[in-house]
Amino acid sequence: MALTGRTALLAALGALVVGLLLPSPAGLGIVTGAVLLAVLVDLVLAAPVRSLRIVRGGETTVRLGESVSVELAVTNPSGRPLRALVRDAWAPSAWRPGTAEASSRHTLTVPAGERRRAVSVLTPSRRGDHHAHRVTVRSLGPLGLAGRQGSHHVPWTVRALPPFASRKHLPSRLSRLRELDGRTSVLTRGQGTEFDSLREYLPGDDVRSIDWRASARRNTVAVRTWRPERDRHILVVLDTGRTSAGRVGDAPRLDASLDAALLLTALATRAGDRVDLLAHDTRKRAAVAGSSPHEILPAFTNAMALLEPALHETDMRSLVSTALKMAPHRSLIVLLTGLDAAPVEDGLRPLLPLLTKRHEVVLASVADPHLDVLAAGRGTTEAVYGAAAAEQTRADRRHTADRLTRHGVTVLDAPPAQIAPALADTYLALKAAGRL
Amino acid sequence: MTGPAPAPAAERPTTDQRAASDANGAAPSSLAPTGRGLWRRARWYLAFLATLLIAAIGITVLGNDRHYPPLDPRSYDADGSHAVVALLEQQGLKAELTTDPTTAQGGADTLVLPEPDLLDPAQLRAVAAARHQRLILIAPGPAALSALAPGVRTSEEDGDVPYASVRGTAAHCPLPEAVRAGSASMGGMLYTSGSRGEGCYPRGHGYPLVSAPTTAGDVIVLGSGLFLHNGELAKDGNASLALGLLGSQPRLTWHLPDYSAPLAEGTGTKTFNDYIPKGWRWAGYQLAVAAVLAALWRARRLGPVVSENLPVVVRAAETTEGRARLYRRAKARGRAADALRRAAAHRLAPALGVPLQAGAPDPEALCAAVADRLPERPAGDVRALLYGPPPTDDAALLRLADDLDALERQVRNP
Repeated sequence: MALTGRTALLAALGALVVGLLLPSPAGLGIVTGAVLLAVLVDLVLAAPVRSLRIVRGGETTVRLGESVSVELAVTNPSGRPLRALVRDAWAPSAWRPGTAEASSRHTLTVPAGERRRAVSVLTPSRRGDHHAHRVTVRSLGPLGLAGRQGSHHVPWTVRALPPFASRKHLPSRLSRLRELDGRTSVLTRGQGTEFDSLREYLPGDDVRSIDWRASARRNTVAVRTWRPERDRHILVVLDTGRTSAGRVGDAPRLDASLDAALLLTALATRAGDRVDLLAHDTRKRAAVAGSSPHEILPAFTNAMALLEPALHETDMRSLVSTALKMAPHRSLIVLLTGLDAAPVEDGLRPLLPLLTKRHEVVLASVADPHLDVLAAGRGTTEAVYGAAAAEQTRADRRHTADRLTRHGVTVLDAPPAQIAPALADTYLALKAAGRL
Repeated sequence: MTGPAPAPAAERPTTDQRAASDANGAAPSSLAPTGRGLWRRARWYLAFLATLLIAAIGITVLGNDRHYPPLDPRSYDADGSHAVVALLEQQGLKAELTTDPTTAQGGADTLVLPEPDLLDPAQLRAVAAARHQRLILIAPGPAALSALAPGVRTSEEDGDVPYASVRGTAAHCPLPEAVRAGSASMGGMLYTSGSRGEGCYPRGHGYPLVSAPTTAGDVIVLGSGLFLHNGELAKDGNASLALGLLGSQPRLTWHLPDYSAPLAEGTGTKTFNDYIPKGWRWAGYQLAVAAVLAALWRARRLGPVVSENLPVVVRAAETTEGRARLYRRAKARGRAADALRRAAAHRLAPALGVPLQAGAPDPEALCAAVADRLPERPAGDVRALLYGPPPTDDAALLRLADDLDALERQVRNP
């Protein structure tokens, strides 16, 4: 049961009746009794909430930052019209910040025996699964004084996928890929190692690429073109341990890593390579292997949606052994982890020979732009000590990166906005150099 | 095989409940509690409430814990007077309590007035006119004295200290009751006996007990009623004195003063309520009802608050900021300067084409390259800036940071 403001207003107006007409305890009793009787009548005449049939429908996935509509179909099987205030309760992060109150409440009028729909527009602000909590209905009586209230459990899940903000970099990287591929006419010699085809010599082609034997067989000069290898295997390894939880700007490092992994996946799939995914901290969190090219991005985003940084130190030994199991043949292993000295020196470095023995390894780490701000601080003692600390941190990271480079690992250290294109460029460079 | 037997019995209520809710027309998604569920949820609260109620009733019924004012014959407390009245009744006396002393009949009786000052002049006159055989006044003021005990005055009016502490005092007077009792707990207000009265238990220049004849009998003025208290009755000759003073007549009337009655004169200032017409008070109550209804309206939520597990927010730069604070607290200027110098050298080396060896350029080569690029700067100055001793205070550290910036700018834009 629930009252409305009207009841209080009616009782307040009743004070005039008591004061002017019936100034006595009896008057008080009569007016209050009348108000309560009206409330009771309203309660009895309100449509029942318990027997409502509520069904959900709508979309189940959304990219983070975009909106999704989830509808509620309310059927009123009773003989009385339903005038109701409906609250579609979801966790606060499912709504656009500040609008949770307004967008979760709907005013519905459902005539007897009919069905009406209410649409809730969700704009999740956190990655992962968002579950509908419950639907609370307050069915008001014909006088609008009081209403019956009850809740229904109508489950629904909306999965907020990683935003893949770096997909804007995809077209430019794809065009560079086509250049590599020899599909566009370029004046430079194709840099791949795999023989592609013979074509007619055009002025500007490198004379060293002329195939004299083929030219002898035809009456024009033929050049050999090369293309990069195809059907290479790439394993993207996401370290979801404690170093991925640190917030860089407004999001954890992990989000930037996911973005970079998605751009690399999109690019490599177009280039004809196979991409697998492993997310690991103390144990395997997600693994996607052997997806076909057209379903690989949905499979990755779905798996990534549920990843959360764990506040534990990553078990590097287990991570490396799982990665080796997923990459039995020569592969490009892209390790998205941190460059902090301690975990890398103690955890990863002793195990690197296992990886580099057979595989090409790229280690990508998200740098913190706040360090640059800190390092530029001057003028006050505090700022200069901050600058010194930031320079020390940067020097430590450089030192760690140098040691890894000496092991034959390609190290990337870029701020969140640049990590995805930098990783894509590194991939293209490796491919062009034929190191896959 | 005894283990699994209770399981079906435990499940049955839920299936019954499902069937019952379907029979009521409830949708399967409804979370509205069923009667059985409500009972199951509320029964412990109800049991607790019932226990509380029973305990409250029990305490009220069993422990008849009324509190009486001092000198009340109904009170069993240490400052009550039940004992003396009970003793008198044992001896066949007829004791009665009254709240209005003017209704007590005169004649062969004793009237006890524990608070004669609470009576207004008309009541005092009525008491005086009723011709009681014996009047007992406890700590009367001048108004009561002049009306009921002519000739007796407080010793204050004779310029004496009007008050003495209560303690065991010898009688020193021919009053038969006092002579029988001997020493008694006397004190309180002190009075003078006047020309016809008799003062007992002298304290200083006054008497805490004065007996004076009246037209109908006599009046006993007491400075304090302490010797009548239950707790004091057994001491000294208190009991004997009390029985003698109160038990001289076959009837005893004990006035119960009404402490709650307003004082006759001096009505207080009017409060806000006095200016509101009588009828509008009920309108005020109606407004209170409206306020309660408004509170109920606002208090009812549309469903419960939804909680959510939030991620821990750890800023990545937190460790670096912590390190900066540690540097500052430890005054680690050498270490801070070293970090700044190494960073500057690391940036200068590529700009000058000096190769890096293990992440840092060779000092000699770097200084030579800087001297090449900036011939106007003395070579020793640059060397001291990049590889000199650590700064000695914070100001020197600040200067060093600025000088390194200036050097970098000069190298990049000579």
